[in-house]
Amino acid sequence: MQIIEFLLLTWIILAFILLFERRVYRNIIYFGIFSLITSVCFLMLGSPDVAMAEAAIAVFSTIFFIICIERYYGKKGNKVEFIRAPKRGSWFTNIVLPLVFCIGLFALFITFMPVGDVSTYLKDLYLQYFATDVGGENAVAAILLGYRVYDTLFEALILVIAVVAVAHMSWLDRMAVDDGRHSEIENSSMAVFTVRIISPIILLFGTYLILNGHISAGGGFQGGVAIATFFICRYMIYDIYDISVKKVIKLEEYVFVFIVVIAVFAVFVGSKAFLAYQFEYFADAFNDTYLIIMNILIGLKVACGFFIIFYRYVAIERREDSPIEISQRHQSSEDSHV
Amino acid sequence: MFNLENLDIFAVFMFFLALFGLITARNAIKSIVFTLVMQTAVIMFWLFLSARTGTIPPIIYDQAILYDITAIADPTPQALMLTAIIIGISVSAIKITMLNYLFRKYSTADWYLLHEMQAEEEAENPYN
Repeated sequence: MQIIEFLLLTWIILAFILLFERRVYRNIIYFGIFSLITSVCFLMLGSPDVAMAEAAIAVFSTIFFIICIERYYGKKGNKVEFIRAPKRGSWFTNIVLPLVFCIGLFALFITFMPVGDVSTYLKDLYLQYFATDVGGENAVAAILLGYRVYDTLFEALILVIAVVAVAHMSWLDRMAVDDGRHSEIENSSMAVFTVRIISPIILLFGTYLILNGHISAGGGFQGGVAIATFFICRYMIYDIYDISVKKVIKLEEYVFVFIVVIAVFAVFVGSKAFLAYQFEYFADAFNDTYLIIMNILIGLKVACGFFIIFYRYVAIERREDSPIEISQRHQSSEDSHV
Repeated sequence: MFNLENLDIFAVFMFFLALFGLITARNAIKSIVFTLVMQTAVIMFWLFLSARTGTIPPIIYDQAILYDITAIADPTPQALMLTAIIIGISVSAIKITMLNYLFRKYSTADWYLLHEMQAEEEAENPYN
């Protein structure tokens, strides 16, 4: 039995545990473990970039979930179960019909799934020419920043839209709290001590990932997420809001404009190809400079975006002093199962 | 038992398992978790397509690696999936914000209770 098969079986087992687990916090922690196992599977399949992104995303989604629901399910959430509502529908319509539906779709997919060799035309083309076309040594980074730079631009745009949507769909209108305000969270001294030691290493690791994104696994996104993690650690240590979020939002917008401008001038207008053609001896230098600048800008932008979202969840979404309209009936029904 | 070419059955199975979980979920938190599981399954399927031609990472630090080009993984699906992961976490941040809104307004995340409460609201002022 190979390692990948073992990992995939664990993957399936964890999914079944997720299906049958009814406690809120355990669901989220199991999802974190699930994502980490997925990340190891990605590494076994020969894609270290995607594996790194998946691991970072696992940590981030877990943090977002726990910050969001901590206010409603309490800190000792292991004892709190899902609320038992009055049951609707029969056993047949609730379980059997969806099961038959999903098994039918699965069988249909298996029947018509294409098997056999895949076309390797694009792979051969990219792998042979990316070093001269775009530069660097990492083919994935070359595709992201060179051949498919449209994808990267719209992805950055979607991150901006997500930040705006998180602010817009929130219950509270406020964009930021006053600077210098204490967060009133009691962190355990053990965690603070550990994070104090780890956080500089995380920052160094994020910087390394960004600067070496074009010659090894990693890149702007992974490094940006690592740097955002550093700011979360900093928040845990100092317990005070001393970074102005409005300035961070402005910085993110400017960085996005810079990304678009540099991509348009370098790739679409063809300045990079022109320079590399004119100064043939320095072609590698131009290519690497373009890749490093794009990685730094994307890393900065992703770090800003995730920092803003995290800050918003911590400082504004989970504030206690905001008015909550809770009808008495449902409040009592929730308490009875605690 | 399995070849690497047949292992993508696992990813397809996981997708439909997550679909089943999404249909039968009673809680909004669980719904969000299963959408994320679904996305992970899709990404896994694409990476299996990428690994059909080989499992060496596509980092060409030496031109000698290209002599055995059939052993290198396909970089195109990997680049696409890297984009998909970032978009997924952005969208899930929005989903968690909407969940927080639900919590603030109705103080529960159970779909049945939410349906009841929304029906009550509509009965109270139907022109809202």
